[in-house]
Amino acid sequence: MSTVSYKNKDAYSSSSGLPDKMAVFQECLQQFNATPVKTKKCRQLLAKLLRLIYHGEEFPPSESTTLFFSISKLFQHKDSSLRQLVYLTIKELSSSSDDILMVTSSIMKDIQEGDVVYKPNAIRTLAKVLDATTVFSAERLFKNAIVDKNPIVSTAALISSYNMLPNAKEVVKRFTNETLETIQSYKQFPKDQFQLHEYYGSSTSNLPATSYMYQYHALGLLYHLKNHDKMALMKLITTLSEGSSLKNSLSIIQLIRYINKILIDDESLITHLYPILSGLLKHKSDMVELEACKTLINLQHLIKDDQFMSIVTTLQKLLGVPRTATRFAAIRLINKISAKHPEKIIVVNIELEGLINDSNRSISTLAITTLLKTMGAGTIDSGAGGENVDRLISKMTSLMDEITEDFKIVIIEAIENLALKFPSKHKKLVAFLTDLLRDDGSLQLKTSIVDALFDLIKFLPEASAKQLILMNLCEFIEDCEFTELSVRILHLLGDEGPNTSNPSYYIRHIYNRLVLENSIVRSSAVISLAKFAAVCGGDVSKNIKILLSRCLNDVDDEVRDRTALSLKFINSDHKKLIVSGSKYDLAALESKLTHYLNETDFASSFDINEVPLLSSEELKSIEYNKKINKLESSNADASESNDNVKGSKTEDDRSGSDNLANDLLKQQEYAQELSQVPEFADYGKLSKSTLTPKYLTDKENEVVVTVVKHFFIESQKLVLQYDVTNTLPRSLIQDFSVIAVPDNELYEEDFIIPLAELKPEQTGTVYISFSTPSIEDEDLLAAFGNTINFINREIIDDEGNVDEADEGYTEEFGIEDLEVLPGDFLAPLYNSNFSAAYDQLPHHESSVVTISGVNSLENAVSSLRSSLNLLPLDGSDYVPSDTNSHVLKLFGKDVWGGKVGVLIRLALTGGKVVAKLEVRAETDNFSTAVANGAY
Amino acid sequence: MSLNISLYTISAVLILDNEGERLYAKYYNQGPSQENGGEVHFQTLSQQQKFESSIFGKINKVHQDIVLYDNHLVTYKQTNDIILIIVAKINENESLIYSTVANLFESLNILLDNTIDKSTIVSKYDLVSLAIDETVDDGIIVEIDPAIIVSRVTKAPKFEPGIHVDGDKGLFDAFSFASKKISERLQQGF
Repeated sequence: MSTVSYKNKDAYSSSSGLPDKMAVFQECLQQFNATPVKTKKCRQLLAKLLRLIYHGEEFPPSESTTLFFSISKLFQHKDSSLRQLVYLTIKELSSSSDDILMVTSSIMKDIQEGDVVYKPNAIRTLAKVLDATTVFSAERLFKNAIVDKNPIVSTAALISSYNMLPNAKEVVKRFTNETLETIQSYKQFPKDQFQLHEYYGSSTSNLPATSYMYQYHALGLLYHLKNHDKMALMKLITTLSEGSSLKNSLSIIQLIRYINKILIDDESLITHLYPILSGLLKHKSDMVELEACKTLINLQHLIKDDQFMSIVTTLQKLLGVPRTATRFAAIRLINKISAKHPEKIIVVNIELEGLINDSNRSISTLAITTLLKTMGAGTIDSGAGGENVDRLISKMTSLMDEITEDFKIVIIEAIENLALKFPSKHKKLVAFLTDLLRDDGSLQLKTSIVDALFDLIKFLPEASAKQLILMNLCEFIEDCEFTELSVRILHLLGDEGPNTSNPSYYIRHIYNRLVLENSIVRSSAVISLAKFAAVCGGDVSKNIKILLSRCLNDVDDEVRDRTALSLKFINSDHKKLIVSGSKYDLAALESKLTHYLNETDFASSFDINEVPLLSSEELKSIEYNKKINKLESSNADASESNDNVKGSKTEDDRSGSDNLANDLLKQQEYAQELSQVPEFADYGKLSKSTLTPKYLTDKENEVVVTVVKHFFIESQKLVLQYDVTNTLPRSLIQDFSVIAVPDNELYEEDFIIPLAELKPEQTGTVYISFSTPSIEDEDLLAAFGNTINFINREIIDDEGNVDEADEGYTEEFGIEDLEVLPGDFLAPLYNSNFSAAYDQLPHHESSVVTISGVNSLENAVSSLRSSLNLLPLDGSDYVPSDTNSHVLKLFGKDVWGGKVGVLIRLALTGGKVVAKLEVRAETDNFSTAVANGAY
Repeated sequence: MSLNISLYTISAVLILDNEGERLYAKYYNQGPSQENGGEVHFQTLSQQQKFESSIFGKINKVHQDIVLYDNHLVTYKQTNDIILIIVAKINENESLIYSTVANLFESLNILLDNTIDKSTIVSKYDLVSLAIDETVDDGIIVEIDPAIIVSRVTKAPKFEPGIHVDGDKGLFDAFSFASKKISERLQQGF
């Protein structure tokens, strides 16, 4: 009878085969309350219920409670297979019902005297049912279960205790001894463990006697009980790593992670702990080997080079295993190493080449991108690397026919990056790209190639490279089916072509377009030609005028319009209207416009002059930075980007915007804030602000003070913006002021705008204005000694009022000094030819300094870069790790508009980095200031 | 790179069918503890479904075993018309997670008599959900050996205990059985 009604209800189920929620609910109530309970039927019903839950259905609290009540009826039944499923259901329902506590006693009874089959399930469910107040009643139970001889019961108890940690840490702490005992004990499955399923039949002899999983769970729990006691933790790690007390791979992985954690907190322990880790580089389980490699790579700054090689050897072995996941993991790690130390993994090149054809696309992508990096590293100091690049490129050329377009795009990006990082290799790489450009391909593919070539034109220093690419592009548009690409290339030809040695070559190609193409291409060809006329002048200009005059009779009116306009400009010599050397900063323009629109009155017209103009050089710096950032971030998601090119591009944009363009925006915000202060109204335009506030106090101090320096160069003012945060919950701060004393007499304090009152958890600002020396003055740099002074009054009620009678007490103490450094007067600027620009600068000065606080060339470079606030050029921020000397080329401009170039020769001797700075600038004083104040 | 030092390893276990519809989906909210940096993923049903459909589009019929997707490490096994997926954090040990998914797959294979497909999973859902519960609980890996996972899953009871009454025939049988017994007793007694 019941079977019939059951089938009927199934007929109402939804199309996806999911049972109807209400029908299942009703039937559950019916069947669970029936006597006697029908075991098989109920188990099926519970399975249906679970299916609903795992599908994402939820029962409203009232129904959930009813359901819970009827399920608890099933506790009367002894059948263990039903009971096991009941526990799972209760566990899943426990989050949505408020009445779970009522089953506590039934569960506890089961744990004490129930069947071993469902005892572990009961224990795990109990942890869900208990709360902080009832957990005490189960303490004894858990203790017994943890030390139970059956590994599964023990595991269940350990997991449950672990889950209870957030709610009942105090109780769980009392299990420490039991947990310790468990880690080191040997627990075996009971004899009948495998008798439930006939599948195993007679072959019980091959079955494991134990899996030691309890070691993993016990170790996990123990760590949390002891993690505040470093000594105990060290002792635990040492005992467990000795011999083979940990049998379970997962527990060894866990142990490795704890070692890693300890080393992050205290690096000096590496000598003690390295032997353990290196021992695990050779283990029978590849997951342990992987974890050891991962950890050691994270800690690579702590280990020696020859020790590093043993990691590489292990990874090399893992690259050859049949398991995809392991190969993937190994190559992911190798790729990670290659980002910083490509020279260390040259030994695995052969394996990597084998993996280019791997069936897993993530692996082959990573193999290629890694190879490209190691090739580059190989070629940078030794001449022998050239063959490698040839081989790789021929390998990839043959591969290109077989792979999908998405994947080709990844390779194109990798090639571009390689060419940017190692400009000397550009010829072969450009040839590879242009060959690819000639082959058939979709618009998307061609666009990515053209993008890559565009970037190379912009950033490759040699003029010959530029010429080579431009010529190839000219050839490409001869036979290009994509209008939008032709237009882009014509635009670029117009920008770059006039400055090359043989503009007439390009003019011929462009003119061909005028004759042969559709109207859109023709009109952009017109503009492009006009640029040649404007820049080159002379005969070229005359000839172009003749060419253009023919276009006046074009059939398309857009072409005619553009031609007429261009001719007019050329004839009247309005060069600026055709070729503009600068662009508005779009981010700043946008924020200004938004601001303007929000000021509803529109009384004054929008002043375009407030938006900073970026010269093409500055624009290039921004783009260059973006490019480099992208290059670096692409390492992280190289594997992801193969299927997901679009997705990763947006990501790159986001990370890319994190630099110069963003800095300009930040600067705009500061300017906006300062313009609100009437005292600074006549200071003029804000020249430069330091971008990251500097902490002058500990971040945990009662008042946290940060400072930002603002320079107004026109009016020779420096405004120090002290942001003050009151972290005291019960204090009101009044009359807060800062006394800043400069050590340079040329800095004179004008006035201070103190802070009248600061409530708890609030942040306020104190401004101090100084008159500064000008660029002609001897001493530009200064240090300010800072003292803060305020009245602290206690808050007596919840509204934040203070006792009027109590006058509070005055506090005054010194905080950290603030320095005005050369970097404050500098901004990064891109220049594609460092040596030429550097040699042109008239004033130079040099100095030798020891850079303190760094132990590697790499750190020294990044520290110099950020302290001088200049842009590294010619890829000189990349330091090969096997050298002891390095040349860093930094370039930028000062706030007065002069260019500054710094050539720094670094040498690493005896763990110290010595730097010889040669500074060239447009003013004598400033080069001295930079050379002396750099460090 | 944040280091995961807790036992919470698995973010989700999923079984999807050949159209990407979920057959089984369990996301583990890895505790309110500070260890996961306050990150909460997949909180709402729609977020979860969005994730499932996009991951399905990426891995369906592409036998790669392992991919990185949307800042997650995704390992999977596809067969017939279902995919078994385990999702973990991006920095998890790839080999460990893949072993988990492969071994869970293996144990399902044993439990479902070598026929892992959609209809078998639906009809033996009790075995499937128990097997997953014995492998991963709250994001903690409970057991990784397939033989042991299988040994932990109880089979459905074979018969209904108690008085078995099956329609009219059953009543008739019972009646005839009773009358036979009574007549036997009567004969013996005398």
